[in-house]
Amino acid sequence: MSPEQPTPIAARQRWIGVLSRALGDELQRHESALRDAEYQLIRAPEIGMTLVRGRMGGNGAPFNLGEMSVTRCVVRLADGRTGYSYLAGRDKARAELAALADAHLQGPQYQHWLNELIEPLALAQAARRARQDAETAATKVEFFTLVRGED
Amino acid sequence: MSATLLQPAFADPVLDAQRSFRVALKALAGPGVTHCLQPAHQPPALPGLAAATHALCLALLDLDTPLWLAPAFDTPAIRANLAFHCGCPIVSERQNARFALLDDSQLSDLSGFDLGNDRYPDQSCTLLIQLPSLSGGRALSWRGPGIQSENRVALPLHEHFWQQRGLHNDFPRGLDAFFLAGSELLGLPRSTRVEEGV
Repeated sequence: MSPEQPTPIAARQRWIGVLSRALGDELQRHESALRDAEYQLIRAPEIGMTLVRGRMGGNGAPFNLGEMSVTRCVVRLADGRTGYSYLAGRDKARAELAALADAHLQGPQYQHWLNELIEPLALAQAARRARQDAETAATKVEFFTLVRGED
Repeated sequence: MSATLLQPAFADPVLDAQRSFRVALKALAGPGVTHCLQPAHQPPALPGLAAATHALCLALLDLDTPLWLAPAFDTPAIRANLAFHCGCPIVSERQNARFALLDDSQLSDLSGFDLGNDRYPDQSCTLLIQLPSLSGGRALSWRGPGIQSENRVALPLHEHFWQQRGLHNDFPRGLDAFFLAGSELLGLPRSTRVEEGV
């Protein structure tokens, strides 16, 4: 992929999602590679609050679930590529690394970063998710009525 | 793509914005006194905007403050950076703006800006006026709230500005202005009476 070509939105959504779910030390392992570029902080990592809203059953009227802390960061590499990150939590170092990864992924080394960084993270996340699902499934209880008791 | 135009803003977004806001408050509370922003607390240069103008934009503008830009400031770099760091909507109708960014070519016509209303005079449009310098004009005498007896101020402004200001000042409705040059700023609230020096 050439850097002039706009990155397909779906692909970028996927890697930003994967980066936002990465645990702190998973990104830390790639720190030296990620920081190995001249870059500038357009928006230094900052912590804020965001309102989480939900819909009952996914289609009811929206209600305010509560607030959560988010950390966001924007970096720009020397060649003008801009990387954004929005992460849950208060980890500024992780936000900076995720923004750097987003910037690198929009460049000519796209495939390299995808293979080195995003795919292993996605695999680890899928494994964590499956383990969690399995633990949850083991506690599943089926409710059914034996006797209605009315007559 | 506008992302390549983005510049960093304040080094310490919270404290530097508060410091700039504090200076702006002092400037309006004591009209006609020149205040200076500390170099350490100024944002990095943005082409077209003086340091004080940039700092005040970052301190005052947010999602709820539509901004009107004079043509001189309506550049892709200024638009992109204000949209990114302040999130302020940029409006084309003067009437809808809560803040206006003006240069000295715009001062012979101040019509169309919101003067507030008698119940909410605070909803008027605030003018941020960038000048080449804050001195060098004819010295005038400023009197009114916040000034003990009189301040003599020599802004390099044309006679038209003072006529326009009089025309759009119907106390308590009216326009408040900040004059900005380099890292200096000076406030002119609607309550200040400006007369020929004696």
